[in-house]
Amino acid sequence: MSSATTARSTQVTVELRVNGRTYPVRLDSTTTLLDALRDDLHLTGTKKGCDQGACGACTVLRDGKRIVSCLTLAAQCDGSEITTIEGISEDGHPHPLQEAFVRHDALQCGYCTTGQVMSAVALLREGRAGSDDEIREFMSGNLCRCAAYPNIVAAIREVAES
Amino acid sequence: MTATLAKENVIGRPIDRIDGRRKVAGAAPYPSDFDLPGQVHAALISSTVAAGRITRIDRSRAEAAPGVLTVLTHDNAPALVDPPQNALGSTMRRPLRDDRILHYGQHIGIVVANTRAEALAAAKLVEIEYAEEDPVLDLDDPRAAVEDNPFGMASSRGDVPAALAAADVTVDGTYTIGAEANSPMGLFTTVASWQGGRLVVHDTTQAPSFLRIALSVMFEVPEENVRVLIPFLGGGFGAGLRLWSHTVLTTLAARVLDRPVKLVLSRPQMFHSVGHRAASRQRVQLGADRDGRLTALDHDAIAANGMGDNLPSPIVAVTPATYACANVATHERRAHLNIPYTGFMRAPGAVEAHFAIESALDELADQTGVDPVELRLRNYAEVHPESGKPWSSKALRECLEVGAQRFGWAGRDPAPRSTHDGDQLVGQGMAGASFEFYALPCTVRLAVDRRGNATVRTAGTDIGTGTYTITAQITAELLGIDVENVRVVIGDTDQPPAPQSGGSGLAGALAAAIQNAAGELAEQLARLDGRPGESFASLLDRHGLDELAVTGYSDLAGAATHSDVAPAGAFAAAYAEVGVDEELGVVRVRRLVSVIDGGRVFNAKTARSQAIGGAVMGIGMALLEELAYDPNSGRVANGTFGDYLVPVNLDVPDLDITFVGEPDTFNPTGGKGLGEIGIVSIAPAIANAVHHATGRRIRDLPITLDKML
Repeated sequence: MSSATTARSTQVTVELRVNGRTYPVRLDSTTTLLDALRDDLHLTGTKKGCDQGACGACTVLRDGKRIVSCLTLAAQCDGSEITTIEGISEDGHPHPLQEAFVRHDALQCGYCTTGQVMSAVALLREGRAGSDDEIREFMSGNLCRCAAYPNIVAAIREVAES
Repeated sequence: MTATLAKENVIGRPIDRIDGRRKVAGAAPYPSDFDLPGQVHAALISSTVAAGRITRIDRSRAEAAPGVLTVLTHDNAPALVDPPQNALGSTMRRPLRDDRILHYGQHIGIVVANTRAEALAAAKLVEIEYAEEDPVLDLDDPRAAVEDNPFGMASSRGDVPAALAAADVTVDGTYTIGAEANSPMGLFTTVASWQGGRLVVHDTTQAPSFLRIALSVMFEVPEENVRVLIPFLGGGFGAGLRLWSHTVLTTLAARVLDRPVKLVLSRPQMFHSVGHRAASRQRVQLGADRDGRLTALDHDAIAANGMGDNLPSPIVAVTPATYACANVATHERRAHLNIPYTGFMRAPGAVEAHFAIESALDELADQTGVDPVELRLRNYAEVHPESGKPWSSKALRECLEVGAQRFGWAGRDPAPRSTHDGDQLVGQGMAGASFEFYALPCTVRLAVDRRGNATVRTAGTDIGTGTYTITAQITAELLGIDVENVRVVIGDTDQPPAPQSGGSGLAGALAAAIQNAAGELAEQLARLDGRPGESFASLLDRHGLDELAVTGYSDLAGAATHSDVAPAGAFAAAYAEVGVDEELGVVRVRRLVSVIDGGRVFNAKTARSQAIGGAVMGIGMALLEELAYDPNSGRVANGTFGDYLVPVNLDVPDLDITFVGEPDTFNPTGGKGLGEIGIVSIAPAIANAVHHATGRRIRDLPITLDKML
């Protein structure tokens, strides 16, 4: 979106399916999924940390796999099932990873946290929580400048073992 | 406080942070999450040269672009008043003041349009020509204007030259540290809105009370007509302590248009718009006897400063108080360069000083054959070396001893290159740390109601350190209620003024202010003729009162001037083990022990997180982080997260964090600030471990592999 010149822009209509709900949206073809989520759908739990795919703060699930939503065009997601932090609680109960993150203080400022949690949800599904070192490696795409890293590992380990 | 109100053992308990659930749900609103009705979007125009003058600006193409509402540059913007000084020293040179360019990326205009995309597109259409000058970018550039002792931090006791000349052993080392970017994850954002004559600003700031004053002065509105809101920050590490030009420009645009304007910095803009730890060079000369007892310490520091800027760089401030030594001299200089403005970054000054001093002490240990831990104990400052007063608390000895024990220091072979593990050389190093006492006045409003709830209000904010949570814990303990019954309203300058979240000064000042309020509340309740053991809820109910509210205040620094103890900051010791791949030069931290004396710990869980955060940022400082400037253009050459490396999860080894010490005797609540001490001894411990592993003394941070080959 940042380099879009409006004069050359093309509007497209996309059906975004997010957290089980369908949102028909009309947006510029260059709009990223991240901006669509935040600006058009007002789902601001997904954060923008770099807009360059380098920090992981904007991590969401697309058809169950973790992606950085800042490097994904919204128009590419027509027909995909997107899951954001707003969509992982069940029956009003927080996801076990959300509970574990709080219990282990796996966050400080909290800005990267939703991306960390989404990445961890996918990591468990990928079967990459076999050891602390494996968790560290496969969570290394999610930066945390407050450096809650050891507590993030502890939170994920606890859920993986339960 | 009366004993009847106190509820024991709430302070210190490792309870979950009370804002944690909102944060993991994505429901905590950061500045970039706020959108106001009628809001329009801004983009910045930034200088593409580092020095010179603007000779021509043509806004016409941008102004004609779709959706554009205004384009403001120095030649058409309404004039602003210069920002005031504040307790952190200078604020900045005001933006759009004239045609001068002082650094690459300088904000020289702002474009506002209906959408963010339109604003960004139009910003590229503003044509600017410069009369470019050759930028001064390096501390060693002879053209750099150097000021000597600009803030009066130079000091002297005894006779250093004579003591150095007479010393059995001397160390003379020069230590350099590259510029570092704070790089909080949250993109700094301003959402400014003028509502009648009132300004409401959501802004990424660690110092809401200071920002309120600055905007009040610059825009010539009464302070009470400025409201700064920052309930959740997205990290700062010092980046949010200064007034920055994007905040001023967004506020200005909102005033010109009389509409809410939102600006979110891009990540590359973060690297040149919100300050950084200045590059520095220090020379440390030590004199000692054969047993390693210090007889002389001379510490000279020079740090970079922005052109036309006036920010203190307090590198030598901590030096006179670190060790018992009769002859100590410090010298402070700064060089003005065409670099983006410097700022404060975690433990500013103290962490730079400790890298130099604690490295030099390691060199002294090497020369004298005295064990590094023993060397520090032999030079232990039992009383404050300047005032001679006893410390209000000091458990540095315990930090050193407990750390040595937990790390297993006793079994260490002191000879460099003595330990191998496969193809790795293994080394172990340590360092001590002293932090200065720091506090500013703080005010809180404390209210209790007949339902048994309490509300604490103050303008200060929580940058992730746990301010919400410890505020609730301290209040709960003092009032004898549960944490769940305390509401914390912070990050809003409509509440009583508070210090910045920085300098490890907020927790202590806030705790003391809450205690003062609780004492006042107890007195007022006592006048209501309470029965023994009666709760305040019952008392209020019996008297038909809905609420009782009091104001609490603390001025610890003021009290310190006539104290018979020397108020202490936190102390720490770090022990690091590194592995060095000799062929590739790669250094990895294998394990790290950090022991901290923070006085009374308000929350064991969030305190530990602070220590972890400091340790990891210390690893970054030691091994990874350095801002690079293009030597021709002055551009930040590595201003992305792909290029400027901060530690990732896999960079962090097993960390062993321990808190020692007793409640501080000066702060009425016994606490000392914790946010910064955790980083202070990390880089020297790692550098000393690298020396032990390889026999090579690296005096230049970060220790990247090119320096190891």
